[in-house]
Amino acid sequence: MLVELAAANNILQIDPVKFVFGLIALVVVYLFVVRKAVPKVMQVLDERHDAIEGGIERAQKAEAEAEEIRKQYREKLEETHREYAQELEKAKEQRAAIIAEAREEAQVEARRIIEAANAQIEADRRQAFIQLRNEIGSLSTELAGRIVGESLQDSAAQERVVDRFLEELEQNESTKQAEVR
Amino acid sequence: MSADVRILAAEPGCHLFPAEGAEGCGFTAPSTGMFFPDPWIEIPGTAGIDLYLVLLLIALGASLLLWSWFSKKLSLVPGRRQGVGEMFILFIRDQITRPTMGDKGDKFIPLMTGIFTLIVLMNITGLIPGMLPTNSDLSFPAMFALFIFVLTLVIGMRQQGGWGYIRNQIFPPGIPKPIYLLVTPIEFLSVFIIRPLTHALRLFATMFAGSLLLGVFAYGGWYMLSIGAQPALAAVSVLFSGAALIGYLLFFLFEILIMLVQAFIFTLLASLYLNGSIEAAK
Repeated sequence: MLVELAAANNILQIDPVKFVFGLIALVVVYLFVVRKAVPKVMQVLDERHDAIEGGIERAQKAEAEAEEIRKQYREKLEETHREYAQELEKAKEQRAAIIAEAREEAQVEARRIIEAANAQIEADRRQAFIQLRNEIGSLSTELAGRIVGESLQDSAAQERVVDRFLEELEQNESTKQAEVR
Repeated sequence: MSADVRILAAEPGCHLFPAEGAEGCGFTAPSTGMFFPDPWIEIPGTAGIDLYLVLLLIALGASLLLWSWFSKKLSLVPGRRQGVGEMFILFIRDQITRPTMGDKGDKFIPLMTGIFTLIVLMNITGLIPGMLPTNSDLSFPAMFALFIFVLTLVIGMRQQGGWGYIRNQIFPPGIPKPIYLLVTPIEFLSVFIIRPLTHALRLFATMFAGSLLLGVFAYGGWYMLSIGAQPALAAVSVLFSGAALIGYLLFFLFEILIMLVQAFIFTLLASLYLNGSIEAAK
């Protein structure tokens, strides 16, 4: 009886029925987990990982794009500033050029007017001189004629008399001027 | 045959202080008999179909339910249920396969998940009142350990060649030649005999001892509780069995920890042994 009990209650014995059923249970659980559970969960984990990574990537791309646009904008702004400055410079130059040109023109015009005026004055003076001479000639002739009492009809003689008179007059003038000096 | 032993362990009418007029009887501690339930269907040469197979079936059903629950309706944004399921698998990966086998161990994640789940739930059956941890019968731990042992042999020999695997195991490189006289027998014993034995026995012994301990507290508490005795003695007996109850509850909590830790250790060691088969293949 004791021996039988000891044999029956040997805790270290391995029961083939339990062993086989245990193995079946293990295989069933393994097959279930390897076919259904783990791949599904892993797939979702990977998908989430991708999604998060994709989101980060998209954000980075957007950031880079914004940076690019900002750079372009800044470049454009700088270019505009530069162009504006150039335009301003050009305008200033043009203004100076125009002013200079106008001044030159004005000077030329003024000179021309002055010259024309001078020429006019000269011409007037000469004309007046000639007219005066003629008038003085005729006056003096007439005067002389009256004084002398004879009419000098010979025009050549008239001219000679007048010329002589005038020369004398001029000489008188110049001596007078010299004396004044 | 084993039925008498069970009854011996739990004589329900026997108490520390006998009822008035009744005859006293001594305490019979729960014996190993509690691990040998009566078979319902006798199979010659075996223990037959008994409680353990029902417990195994419960653990199996719970494993399948648990994983079909964890893996149904998965979405990119996880709820609590899915979060726990993912944590479970990531725990297996980051605490068991990755530390022992590295990235190459990722293909063993399903196996380790299955083994861990099944062992935990087989241990947990011990928490059902009146039931035993399924792994308190050596047949089951032995099956797990032998499965892992055969798997290490098959993978090792496939990766490193038949003799190559054995040589890598019993002649560890980088040792002065004469030391091999000492190291080789030790390594041989260790790898091919002691390792699978201890692998199985560790799980079995902790489950066995744990439920035996709980049994002692439960039976002792019941034995000491003598309501029918004289009032003074009855009061003392309530104190005694109260202490036993507190001990029982404390060890119950401790047992839960042991059940989880032992399942973890078993799986971790399985992973470590498998690493010896794939690692030296470099």
